[in-house]
Amino acid sequence: MTGVPLNIDWQQILLHLFNFTILFGALYILLYKPVKNFMEGREAHYADMDSKAEQALADAENSKASYLKKEKEFDDEVRAEKNRMSKEIEAERERRLAAARGEAEKIISDARTEADREKNEIIESAQKEITGMITDAMEKLTLEQTASDAFDQFLDAAEEATNE
Amino acid sequence: MTKQERKKAIIVFSLIALVFMIGSILTGGHGGEEESIQTVMRDAVMHDVNKISLFGLKDVNPALISGFIVSGIMILFALICRIFVIPRFKLVPGKFQLVLETVVGIFDGMAKGNSHINGFLGAYIFAAGSYIFTGTIFELFGVQAITTSGHPISLPAPMADVNGAIMLGCLSYLVIMSGGIVGNGVKGIGKTLKDFSLPLSLSFRLFGALISGALVTELVYYYTAMSYVVPVVVGVLFTLLHALIQAYVLTMLTSLFYGEVSEKVEKPPKEKRKRGKKRTTVVKEQAV
Repeated sequence: MTGVPLNIDWQQILLHLFNFTILFGALYILLYKPVKNFMEGREAHYADMDSKAEQALADAENSKASYLKKEKEFDDEVRAEKNRMSKEIEAERERRLAAARGEAEKIISDARTEADREKNEIIESAQKEITGMITDAMEKLTLEQTASDAFDQFLDAAEEATNE
Repeated sequence: MTKQERKKAIIVFSLIALVFMIGSILTGGHGGEEESIQTVMRDAVMHDVNKISLFGLKDVNPALISGFIVSGIMILFALICRIFVIPRFKLVPGKFQLVLETVVGIFDGMAKGNSHINGFLGAYIFAAGSYIFTGTIFELFGVQAITTSGHPISLPAPMADVNGAIMLGCLSYLVIMSGGIVGNGVKGIGKTLKDFSLPLSLSFRLFGALISGALVTELVYYYTAMSYVVPVVVGVLFTLLHALIQAYVLTMLTSLFYGEVSEKVEKPPKEKRKRGKKRTTVVKEQAV
């Protein structure tokens, strides 16, 4: 190999190449590939876990949204029911108030009627009593006048008789 | 451990180190090397003196033997991991699993970050990066081998051999070209060939970086006086850091060029071009 700088030997280069090729193949099969596969598998495992967690999170978000929607619907329903109930209550109150007013008016009207009736009765009985009293008084008066007249007549008759 | 036991251990350790130091000074000033430093350093670059017999078939550079040993160790390690560790991987990783996942993740991420066609690229830069890193660290252990001349030699990093560096540089270039072909067809080859200096730069960057570390380390270990404390710093700087930096540089460059040539070039529609031309002519006329 004289004349070749630095004693470069092509045969030895090829021997180095042969050596390195075997080393490359062995390292690839025995170390690089299995370790890389394991690392990729683990990455895939964690990616899968991550996607599952994301899915679960998305599901939870959906559930939350659905719950919130239902809650809102329920709130709306409750509000509507409340409005309806309050309207009903108001209507019932108005109705009862009207009924009470009507009853009160009726009671007052009845009371007035009763009072008028009683008044009329009282007036009537008073009139009757007054009439009776007057009649009695007239009767008495009449009787008194008749007795005195009879006594007078008696006296007159007696006097006349005496005179005679 | 009580205080007294600790003191005893420190004293014993210091005495042993002192004995080794005295012994190394008494046995000579060249650290046991029979060759001159010039020869050692020249051989580290040229590999023309110290050769190792490859099963009696051929005398090869020591770095090739290092390459075989490093590959063997790495394959054995991968096999043990595949049989005993990977089947017991858990979703929440332990320390060792975390190390493996981090290493694979770094190269995979680098490939994904640079190119949309990244399956093969990730595997390639993982192998290349691991090989460079482990090979460079391997140098630290000073595994001994016997040369054809009968001298013991400390095996260097596989990439400290120009043949190994050329192999990885050219292979990286071919990988880049394959990315160009997959991404852009024949145009991809043209795009890759534009950077014709890439295999040279990749090869010699790797070789230069690792051989410089090897030379400095060789220099430091050659002299007995520099064999205390200094190798700790040198070893860390020129081996550990080189291992990391060179593994990163080659894989990063390969990924970048791969991404560049595999990126699809979208031409603007012809009608728009014509319209654009018309507009420019109108504008020119108005200007006139």
